[in-house]
Amino acid sequence: MLAWRLLWRNWRSGEIKLLSVALALAVTVVSAIALFTDRLEGTLLEQSNSLLGADRLVTSNQPHRREWADEARRRDLAQTRVVHFASMVFAGDEMHLASVKAVAEGYPLRGYIDTSQTPFALEPELIERAQGIPAAGEVWVDSRLLPLLHIELGDTLQVGEGRLRATRVITSEPDGSGPFSVMGARILMNWADLERTRVIQPGSRVEYQWLLAGEEAQVSEFMQWLEPKLSEHEEVMDIENAQRRLQGTLLSGRRFLVLAAVMGVLLAGVAIALAARQFADRHINQVALLKSLGTSAGRIRGLYLAQLLILAALASLLGLALGALLQEVIARVVLKLYQIEMAPSGLIPIALSLLSGPLALVGFALPSLWFLPGVPPIKVLRQEMVIPRGAFVWQVILACAVLILLVGVFGRDLVLGLTVLAALAVVGSLASALALGLLATSRRAGAQAGSRWRLALASIQRRRGASVLQVVVFATAIMLLLSLTIVRTSLIEEWQVKVPDNAPNHFLLNIAPSQVEDFRALLTADSLKVEQLYPMVRGRLTHINDEPKPEDTLNREASLTWTAELAEDNQVVAGKWWGEWQRGEADLPGVSVEQEVAERLGIALGDRLSFSIGGLAAEAEVASFRTLEWESLQPNFYFIFEPGALDDYAPMYMTSVYLPAEKKRFINTLLTRYPTVVVIELDRIINQIRTIISQVSDGVGLVLAMVLLGGCLVLIAAVTGSIDARKQEAGLLRALGAPRRLMVGGIWIEFALLGGCAGVIAVMASEALLLGLQVFVFEVPVQPHYLYWLLTPAVSAVFVGVLGAISCRHAVTTPPAIVLREAQ
Amino acid sequence: MAYMLQAAQLGKTVTTAAGDLTILKDINLSVAKGESLAITGASGSGKSTLLGLLAGLDVPTTGRVELAGINLGELDEEGRARVRAEHVGFVFQSFQLLPGLTALENVMLPLELVGDAKARQRASEYLERVGLAARLGHYPPQLSGGEQQRVAIARAFACEPDILFADEPTGNLDSSTGHTINDLLFGLNEEAGTTLVLITHEERLANRCARQLQLAGGELMIASAEAIA
Ligand SMILES: Nc1ncnc2c1ncn2[C@@H]1O[C@H](COP(=O)(O)OP(=O)(O)OP(=O)(O)O)[C@@H](O)[C@H]1O
Ligand SMILES: [Mg+2]
Repeated sequence: MLAWRLLWRNWRSGEIKLLSVALALAVTVVSAIALFTDRLEGTLLEQSNSLLGADRLVTSNQPHRREWADEARRRDLAQTRVVHFASMVFAGDEMHLASVKAVAEGYPLRGYIDTSQTPFALEPELIERAQGIPAAGEVWVDSRLLPLLHIELGDTLQVGEGRLRATRVITSEPDGSGPFSVMGARILMNWADLERTRVIQPGSRVEYQWLLAGEEAQVSEFMQWLEPKLSEHEEVMDIENAQRRLQGTLLSGRRFLVLAAVMGVLLAGVAIALAARQFADRHINQVALLKSLGTSAGRIRGLYLAQLLILAALASLLGLALGALLQEVIARVVLKLYQIEMAPSGLIPIALSLLSGPLALVGFALPSLWFLPGVPPIKVLRQEMVIPRGAFVWQVILACAVLILLVGVFGRDLVLGLTVLAALAVVGSLASALALGLLATSRRAGAQAGSRWRLALASIQRRRGASVLQVVVFATAIMLLLSLTIVRTSLIEEWQVKVPDNAPNHFLLNIAPSQVEDFRALLTADSLKVEQLYPMVRGRLTHINDEPKPEDTLNREASLTWTAELAEDNQVVAGKWWGEWQRGEADLPGVSVEQEVAERLGIALGDRLSFSIGGLAAEAEVASFRTLEWESLQPNFYFIFEPGALDDYAPMYMTSVYLPAEKKRFINTLLTRYPTVVVIELDRIINQIRTIISQVSDGVGLVLAMVLLGGCLVLIAAVTGSIDARKQEAGLLRALGAPRRLMVGGIWIEFALLGGCAGVIAVMASEALLLGLQVFVFEVPVQPHYLYWLLTPAVSAVFVGVLGAISCRHAVTTPPAIVLREAQ
Repeated sequence: MAYMLQAAQLGKTVTTAAGDLTILKDINLSVAKGESLAITGASGSGKSTLLGLLAGLDVPTTGRVELAGINLGELDEEGRARVRAEHVGFVFQSFQLLPGLTALENVMLPLELVGDAKARQRASEYLERVGLAARLGHYPPQLSGGEQQRVAIARAFACEPDILFADEPTGNLDSSTGHTINDLLFGLNEEAGTTLVLITHEERLANRCARQLQLAGGELMIASAEAIA
């Protein structure tokens, strides 16, 4: 109880306000980021699952067994089924080999089917989220099917032996199969119509999918039960294989958030440490007095600890509330902008956030307070006595330990935390040395300066230790802010580079060699840019150097191509590209293999690869390895052959094209002209990536704002640390007749100088930190940021000057008598 | 005769950068219960140091101190704290009020520390007795030096100590204010029957004490015949 009362008095006297604000800020940063990343991850998982239509998918060439379904039902899992097959559909004289999907009630378990009454609709107001599945007797179809069959919505088409009416077009649907396998236009029909239409005949090539969803723990438990029972015809799919493309982007987005969190916590930590130091300064006399009154060291320690714990608990609750509020705001924005409902957060981030308050206190505040109970009672009689503080090393070690703990536990990213810490260590020592040097120079300069300058420089000199500390602290804060801003900008830029605005957003496949020239002409006539046309055959890798290839990789047909020119995002990393490469003794054509798949298959340069292409055998020698960027959404191939090498295998051509939204209906023209061409609409995938990027950068922007707040707190903490001494001095000077203008001017100059120094150091340090981050963490190219070299010191001088002037305003403008009395 | 305070062969030597410095040497004295003793001496003669040793705030290099019949030399800092809590009160030259606490709270603090349930009531009583009934809610910076010292005196007496140590209680005050403070100090002392050890360089004040001792260069000069009783 006494602790509560003491805490309340300390709060009232303003001695712990800064400490409380800094603590609450630390918790706010941790909780906002922990909650937001948790929800972001949850959302992405949900979205990925919605791509699959379920949490898990079991594909097979026959329906799944009844016992399995019973077991799944017993375990409370949601389930439904889908069957995929290709079927000729007719309307009048027209026909098309469609990709049919018959779905049962409940489909999809995750995600949505979006449909429209307007073919090729893009406008959100024309698109509707489907409730349920097509009714019996109806089908929903790809827009492109309509021109292919010369029909309109409402018309019927012949599917198998039945007639079904096309009532809606599909604008997006969850889809388990990758874009390349979708050859025909999609028809979505009701499972109940399967029997009546008799589309599935014995011997038809069909793929049954069994969709499952539920709580992740239960689902994976069920999969463990199920997997041993599966035959070789059955295959389980989860999001891992569904969503490889987004991984890279997400990883760096997450890392960035964690980085921001580290920096936010670090800044708040510095503010906490400074505030604690101030608190300790002011409490030395109090402790000595308590001791003279007969309070034991143990009791004093207990009283202070209790106060701090109460404070930490309150700050944690407040911080958690604020953090939760903040991330909820972003979630709302996300919902409004992108119609994406974010997943709720789990309990772990909440627990972590609550823990972070006490943890931050222990790591950042306790070390500076630890010596307090040891203040000897004789201090009450000997005011001039200097009280030794705890060893600085311990403070640093403890702070680092806590930081590593926070980053390790909640960011799950140690490398990142260590990089930041290492950079900070360098900055700390460098900044101290530099600050000392700069101060020494300023003293010499001070001798010839005008009176305001002399006053400012004298003040800096007098508080040498404090001045160096301030410069180091300012520099650290500015450095962290600077690095964060630069990293954010360059990350977002980098993502945008990966998916440039006018990147090809449609793949056109299955173009016959005889159509190539006409096709080109048609595109050019519509002023569309024609990308490279790749000849393409589907083939299967069978042997490496006459040994059967490893069974676990690439068990499907791959797209094989040849080209003379390497695409922009491809890079040869070993071997030689055509032109420099020479055929070997066997006189086999060369093939260039994507590096990762080569590694997985254990392929070396010069190996002989055997392919089976439509039943025919083909051989080639490995000439080079390439890296490529899947994120670029360009046509990419595992195997690229020497030009002409596949001429005998009846290749079809493919290309990609950028269609702006307003030209989307061009697909209609195209398909009417070339009914056999297959169009894959990548723009939907690109949009999804864009959405995710903007989600991440919104989160980042908010976090940045919080970190900025942390920086300001640190500055304020550092300035107010010297206020007491300043008040006394200023009162004295004013009493001696120094004019107000001179005093105010002196303060401005003093803080602007400190800020300027800090800015210079910060720019150098942040370049160093960025170098580390770019090389070890984000793996992006290194580049200097010249503009910041100019801007930072200037902005920092002005900012710190203003801040100092405001903080010390009171000390220099109140009448000297009052100042002297308060300072006693 | 029961002694409240006894010191024998007390000495204090500190180690400084310039070598060992002997501040006090071979001090012997004793103070009876209820007695008042003044210690005088030039600045730097070691008065404050002696007070610290006698009150158990610091430990002597040699010799022993017995306070309320307890040998302080046998106690550790915890033990000495207990003795202080039970028997000792202080008034300091620089008042030593906590600036963030009101006058009332400053007086309440030691009472709260020992868990006195009537802390508030007793504190306001004592503040009334030093004539500050109207200033209970004021903070130290809002009070004059004399008023601050009165708060400190109220704080010292509120704990009802057996022995009160005062280190130049009027050293920071003008002479007429000092006079009022002294009256208050001696008045309360007489009323409560407290033993008083007072450091001062004011002759007039020293004369109000039953006995006087003079320190010079860290040694006791016999200033009064019965210095060692
Ligand atoms: N821990 C210490 N280290 C070094 N010197 C000390 C220490 N304690 C006391 N002294 C010195 O011992 C001498 C006596 O100090 P003390 O404070 O007891 O004097 P005083 O008689 O109270 O003087 P004043 O009347 O000015 O208060 C002084 O010169 C002081 O500087
Ligand atoms: Mg003294």
